[in-house]
Amino acid sequence: MTSLLGHPAGGEGIGYSFSQPTAAPVKQHGFYPYTDNGGSTLGITGSDFAILAGDTRSTSGYNINSRMVPKVFKIGGDDETGEGAHIVLSVVGFAADGNALKERLDAVVKMYKYQHGKPMSVSACAQRLSTILYQKRFFPYYVTAILSGLDEEGKGALYSYDPVGSYEREQCRAAGAAASLIMPFLDNQVNFKNQYIPGSGEGHALEQKKAEPLPQATVEQLVRDAFTSAVERHIEVGDHLQMMIITRDGIQEVFHPLKKD
Amino acid sequence: MGSPFDINGGACVAMVGKDCVAIACDLRLGMQALTISNNFPKVFNYAPSTYLGLTGLATDVNTVSDLLRYKVNMYRLREERNIAPQTLANLVSSSLYEKRFGPFFVSPVLAGINETTGKPFICGFDSIGCIDFAKDFIVSGTASEQLFGTCEGLWEPDMEPEDLFETISQALLAAVDRDALSGWGAQVWIIEKDKVTQRLLKGRQD
Amino acid sequence: MDHFPGTWGRPRNDVYGAYDPTYLQTTGPKTHTSSPAVTGTSVIGVKFNGGVVLATDNLASYGSLARFTDVKRLRVFGDNAVVGFGGDVSDMQYIDRLLESIDIRENYSTHGNMLNAKNLHTYLAKVFYKRRSEFNPLWNHVLVAGFDVDGKPFLSSADLLGTTFSAPHLATGFGAHLAVPILRRRFPEEMPIEEITREEAVSALKDCLKVLFYRDARSIDKYSIAVITKEGIDLKEDEQIEGQSWAFAERIRGYGRQTN
Repeated sequence: MTSLLGHPAGGEGIGYSFSQPTAAPVKQHGFYPYTDNGGSTLGITGSDFAILAGDTRSTSGYNINSRMVPKVFKIGGDDETGEGAHIVLSVVGFAADGNALKERLDAVVKMYKYQHGKPMSVSACAQRLSTILYQKRFFPYYVTAILSGLDEEGKGALYSYDPVGSYEREQCRAAGAAASLIMPFLDNQVNFKNQYIPGSGEGHALEQKKAEPLPQATVEQLVRDAFTSAVERHIEVGDHLQMMIITRDGIQEVFHPLKKD
Repeated sequence: MGSPFDINGGACVAMVGKDCVAIACDLRLGMQALTISNNFPKVFNYAPSTYLGLTGLATDVNTVSDLLRYKVNMYRLREERNIAPQTLANLVSSSLYEKRFGPFFVSPVLAGINETTGKPFICGFDSIGCIDFAKDFIVSGTASEQLFGTCEGLWEPDMEPEDLFETISQALLAAVDRDALSGWGAQVWIIEKDKVTQRLLKGRQD
Repeated sequence: MDHFPGTWGRPRNDVYGAYDPTYLQTTGPKTHTSSPAVTGTSVIGVKFNGGVVLATDNLASYGSLARFTDVKRLRVFGDNAVVGFGGDVSDMQYIDRLLESIDIRENYSTHGNMLNAKNLHTYLAKVFYKRRSEFNPLWNHVLVAGFDVDGKPFLSSADLLGTTFSAPHLATGFGAHLAVPILRRRFPEEMPIEEITREEAVSALKDCLKVLFYRDARSIDKYSIAVITKEGIDLKEDEQIEGQSWAFAERIRGYGRQTN
């Protein structure tokens, strides 16, 4: 007899072939609030300039969402175009978090200017960005951020972050999907790691080649080479290269084509 | 435990130049994060101008290198000539595919000059013997992503042996310095038609 | 004989297992949408020289069941903005009510300037992002079509995570796999949209809907299509996919009349 409540008594069930699957475990489908939109960013500083660059491809899985979604943003500009800004932020990882972070920081830098009547320094902005990231320590912004501008002495400044706000000022940094491909190349070509001065000593006593700020044209070429290399070997990188060149005359934004395959 | 390919660490790279090839490897042997040895070369010689690099699980590096030494010795006794790089490539491939469903956890890299044609030859393999014929360079090991970046950035066609040495060395050293499981010095072989130069590189000891 | 009328007409417990009443519970922890229920499939859209075309089919599925076959998934906002909804239909109706209240509020306001499609997209993306950040997502993937501030054609996407992107042609869900390649071939991305006519755009979308009907099992051959131009919105909600070719089916065993 069919019981009103609960399962039938063991072994008493009838032998329908399709009565088996009821024993299957209840499957829970959770909501995962993150996704990876791919892409890569890269920043290098010089004595009187800084360059922040990123590709413009947006991906989800093996799909290309769009070939033109910029990852590098002007922060604290006067209008929607970012005119008048002197700080640049790049975000790579989860694009929705990246946008939210960009808008938070943009608002903060604007409010600073309205309240103090002077533009926010890059070092202050860098500290503030770290705080913003750490405030979401237990539900992080899933992004690797790089902040760039000119410091109080007019030298190129670049700060790199992890998703929860650890930060450090550096000469150069690559982030995102192709960071592991680009970063060792930068060590070698920007900081001259593993390069020695010929004839400066016998055997292992050779003197190391000192890292010194590079000229702007050299840095631009290095950035373009780094990205063409990354495009060749990483499927999430490609379409266009967006470059923000920060000098005392302002921020210049340029786009270069990359391979679209 | 992680992937068998990542337990011991190590990196290997081969490059083509003008009438020459180069192959290089790091010297680290580790157990996870602990370094056991800083003198564990991963490149093995099978003919006067044919070399094979093996990264991956160290026990399989030893097994496969010995197995191939045996097979190449048998080849030389039977044929009374040295094995050509192309032939060795097929030997490596078939030997690995023999273990298709219980593979050796190695990623081999082959570099050599064909004695009859005088042409440089490099290729790489996955752990079950799929051959990757490349005209430029082959990378393998735990620093393979880094190596792809440095090689793609530094390599150019038709380099002379001296330039090829500098390029492969810088590519390897820069790459292994960004990989915690590779490094502790490196070895480089520059293979020309009738000449092989082996060099030992000092790298960061951390 | 089962003497309990309460169990009559219900799936037998001994066959289908006990009824799971958890979704009716009013006590216990607050629950959020963890998977969509009644869903719409792809939304596709293309920009052309005078505006944007957007299309969806008229099906709302319940799992693999074609549950509601006359559901309008293109929603008009204001004078020249349209939102195409994919994903959960109840969430679509919630968002539709939300947009309607905004539309009414904006119309009663004194400033007189209406939200354009770009503003609407920004707003929707923020609603999605806020809800995903509360772990209570609105389970949709939408395309927003219309014009931006400068009067240029606008087409952009937003999804349940708050991810946004824009391109000359877009498609959600299955359409991202099946429709986008067709659209990219017809209208290469380097081709300026000035060279794409309204007729070409409409016919391309119709072809895409046909391909989707052939290969997307959660689709239907009734569709809605909206052409957004400066003159206004031309919305047709009761269209039928035409020129279907099922000749191939005759030759496939188990598809046509052949039974063995």
